Amino acid sequence: MILLRLISWQYVRKHKLRWLLTLAGIIIGVAVFVGMHTANQSVLAAFQETINRIAGSTQLQVTAGEAGFPEEALEIAQNSPDVRVAVPVIEASVNSGLKGQGNLLLLGVDMTGDRSLRDYDLENQDDDAIEDPLVFLAQPDSLLITRSFATATGLKFGAKFPMETMAGKREFTVRGIMKSGGLASAFGGNLAVMDIYAAQKMLGRGRRFDRIDIAVKEGVRVEEAQPRLQAALGAGYLVESPGARGQQFESTAQIYSLVSSVTSMFALFVGMFLIYNTFEIAVTQRRNEIGILRALGATRKQIRVLFLGESVVAGLAGSVLGIFFGLLMARGIAAYVGAMLSEVYGVAQRADEVTADPWLLAAALIVGTVTSILAAIVPARDASRVDPVKALQKGRQQMIGEGENRTRRIGAVVALALAFGCMSLARIRPLFYLGYLLAVTAAVLLAPTACNIITRALRPLLKWIRPVEGALAADSLIQAPRRTSGTVTALMLSLALVISLGGIARSSYESIQKWLVVALNPDLFVTTSESLTSRSFVFPAEIGEGMRTIPEVETVQMVRTVRVNVRNKPVMLVSVDLESIATKVHLPPREGDEKTMYRDAAQGKGVVVSDNFALLHGYKMGDIVELPVPGGVLPMPVLGIVTDYSDQQGSILIDRSVYIEHWKDTTVNVFRLYLRNRADEPIVRKKIQEMYGGQTRLFVFTNQDLRAYILKLTDQWFSLTYVQIAVAVLVAILGIVNTLTVSISDRKRELGVLQAVGGLRNQIRGTIWIEAVAIGLTGLIMGLVVGAVQLYYTLEISRSDVVGLRLEYSYPFGIAAALVPVILGAALISAIGPAEAAVRGSLVEALEYE
Amino acid sequence: MNRFVVALFGTVVLAQDARQIVEEVQKRSRSKSQKYEGTLEVIDQRNKVSTKRWEYARLGAFGESRSVLRFTSPPEVKGVALLVHNHPDRSSDQWMWRPAIERDQRIALQDRSTRFFGTDFSYEDLEERDVNQFDFKVLGEESIDGVACWKLESRPREKKVSQYLYSHVWVRKDHYVYAQIEAFNKTGLARKIKYSDVQNVQGLWTSKVVEVFDVAKKSRTVLKFEKLQYNLTIDADLFTLQALRRAS
Repeated sequence: MILLRLISWQYVRKHKLRWLLTLAGIIIGVAVFVGMHTANQSVLAAFQETINRIAGSTQLQVTAGEAGFPEEALEIAQNSPDVRVAVPVIEASVNSGLKGQGNLLLLGVDMTGDRSLRDYDLENQDDDAIEDPLVFLAQPDSLLITRSFATATGLKFGAKFPMETMAGKREFTVRGIMKSGGLASAFGGNLAVMDIYAAQKMLGRGRRFDRIDIAVKEGVRVEEAQPRLQAALGAGYLVESPGARGQQFESTAQIYSLVSSVTSMFALFVGMFLIYNTFEIAVTQRRNEIGILRALGATRKQIRVLFLGESVVAGLAGSVLGIFFGLLMARGIAAYVGAMLSEVYGVAQRADEVTADPWLLAAALIVGTVTSILAAIVPARDASRVDPVKALQKGRQQMIGEGENRTRRIGAVVALALAFGCMSLARIRPLFYLGYLLAVTAAVLLAPTACNIITRALRPLLKWIRPVEGALAADSLIQAPRRTSGTVTALMLSLALVISLGGIARSSYESIQKWLVVALNPDLFVTTSESLTSRSFVFPAEIGEGMRTIPEVETVQMVRTVRVNVRNKPVMLVSVDLESIATKVHLPPREGDEKTMYRDAAQGKGVVVSDNFALLHGYKMGDIVELPVPGGVLPMPVLGIVTDYSDQQGSILIDRSVYIEHWKDTTVNVFRLYLRNRADEPIVRKKIQEMYGGQTRLFVFTNQDLRAYILKLTDQWFSLTYVQIAVAVLVAILGIVNTLTVSISDRKRELGVLQAVGGLRNQIRGTIWIEAVAIGLTGLIMGLVVGAVQLYYTLEISRSDVVGLRLEYSYPFGIAAALVPVILGAALISAIGPAEAAVRGSLVEALEYE
Repeated sequence: MNRFVVALFGTVVLAQDARQIVEEVQKRSRSKSQKYEGTLEVIDQRNKVSTKRWEYARLGAFGESRSVLRFTSPPEVKGVALLVHNHPDRSSDQWMWRPAIERDQRIALQDRSTRFFGTDFSYEDLEERDVNQFDFKVLGEESIDGVACWKLESRPREKKVSQYLYSHVWVRKDHYVYAQIEAFNKTGLARKIKYSDVQNVQGLWTSKVVEVFDVAKKSRTVLKFEKLQYNLTIDADLFTLQALRRAS
């Protein structure tokens, strides 16, 4: 502790900027970790909160996937001897149409019985807050809104506001206002309650409910009632506690969670190299100090503990600052995540409040500190091994011993050999990941050698550009490998990440675009929502029949998409006339005969599944997919596996006739229209609007519109990737600035001598600039090479463990080319400050030692 | 021993009397059909009054009747109807019809204790009180508004699903019509129903004003009967869901 105060603290005070830059690695890593996870948890917590608030005193909920179920199930539940109250519910997120209010969570309930479960907590404490319950029920435009929504929108009792419904644009009347808190706090207060039968009409749901909320009779245990109710309803229904719905949402959003974890972990990993670099430099610079301490009797252990102590303090300080910035970032990220989950997954959520989980913060503090300690282990060991006699001599302190280099090289070769071995056994996933780790380890171990080779190779080029400055810069790098290798390694890893992320984005774009051409080839798409992922509203099938009468229309395909649980994972069920699809769409088959698979599936003999469904959920040709249908389970063999990017969790194509038969649902999400002549698009669009525009909520997209929309969604998803790229580039730039700052202070005497013997200020500047560019170039070359390997592993992980997409390997040459000016430019800009510090430094001070 | 036998015998006699009294009430009010127009006033605890009107028709008598109640004003609620099929051996079936959304909705047994469209009646209160669905006993004799009455206790039998544990029923000795009912649930007195303005209509003594107090909410609803008629010929088809839909 005394050593820390007397020695370390003095050193930190003297090199404030350097330490701040070092801490930046930990700060960014921890901030990204805390920010993304807090945002993620806040969205999940908000979703859970909404579920709990809406659930009221509900003990069990009956669901049957997203398609809902026929009303008859309600009577079965109500007649169960265990059930005290069973009330139907429809829940949908709809655009309020009110400026700045976004989506409104619409809760359709049966007002006669619902109060047994939910406390509406009306403003006047009695039913009169719904001015007249009979009018509320008699008039389908009646809405009960929350006080917070009323305040935000200025809506008062009796006020009217329009909303788009399946029966066209309708005015809704506020017939009750709920007090804030309780149910009224669900969905951030953007909640409206209406009669369930009116909601069915508004949303086009027919005679179907989304779920049944249940309270059991007094004296009946929920865990006993649950299996009995499940048995009474049949296997197609899911009877579970309200909390279980949150888990489904979590499962839907798990890919996002994974990506955010990877980003933050990577930032910390790179930050570790920055800390390692700084400590290595500190050990080198403080050799004299260490020598004196050793000469005065300090033991090796004391020196090691001193450096590790510094790393603990640095780790703690960086983590605390990281947590602070992370929490600041979390609110913005939460808004983004909420919007993204709503757009990409069709699951609306609002996280208005960001709450920090103490466990998460503790984990961040531990991860940040441990990262710092890990990074300092090798430098601390080096420091403890410093020979006091040699330490008090001058020169060659920046060289890495040949023995050390050889050990690293041998280690790298062994790691590489093992990595290749693991690659051949990639089916065993832990071995695959071990191989990945070994490959990264090999790259890290080889980095100093590669750095040295590249710098030596660059020397003639640098000398050719500027004979004096180029040679000086190259020699400085060659002679001080410790100073640069850590930074170059950090830069290499960051750029490798950028290449792999850019590569995966490019591969995804290419694959999605190919799929768009094949799968989404109709001329027009008619949907119920501007957001194609929202399935709150549905069309009656008659509209499709009506569109078939338009002379310019050749074919109308009716599509109903619903999320169903297969092996406890939510996957997308796409019901469509498969014979018609077979004639118009040729999804590339992975397995199975394209000619027979659709024909057999159209006859109800099985289903066609997407490649990612098969990969993620472990299905092969002929395997039986057990689909939960209202009233039972529908076993369907896999007749074919095709490339389809409809859903990240995988999709199952089923014939519409089979869907209608088992789900008793004739509604439609999307009509796909093929025209006799594509040029008739505007005419048909106009006719559809004339026929149905006034009667129902309807959006007509051209093929181009839809493709643009899907690419926008893809962009939205990849915006997370761009955040990762930004973090990687930022960390890389930090590394260069750090190294150069160190380099200047380290070479103060050398630069002083240079000036003293007549070196011009511009030559000094030029030397530092060239050195910076050389560091950037070395990191760039290594990063682009290691990126190629990293891309292979990322694609493999994405294929087998994340989204199941078989993306083709496509090196992102465009991104690689763009990185060259970015990194070299950043390196040059990073050099400006240190270069100016070098030329403006006191010559007397610099030559003091001499 | 003798005292116990006397007490037991006395109880049986009283019980029989109670049942006979209620049977007499049913007998005297029995009609093969009924029709009226009703005015409903809901007066909340702040004395705010909302008024509605409905038409009521019933076919059949205790235990085997069907009835339909249809709101006629104000305009926002016009056409909303309640169809009730009473059964001798179990609770009634009830359906609500809402013309604006053209939907019928079954009122589940679990919901019978809830308020009928914001009035102080519950759905259960709109059912018939058939003598065979309750056990009765005489509690004594009391005057209500100066009229001598029997005070009875009625408890629903096992098959009858009811929100009430028991009720106290006052029956006028002069015309064998109900004068007052106090209905108790597990928390105590829930509702108090007062029958007044007793008139002879087509030979049947009938209370033309029924007032319900909701004890917890401190609000009351007054139902006034107009154009009351008995024993008309009414088409049985009117008491079906199809008829409800047709009427709208």
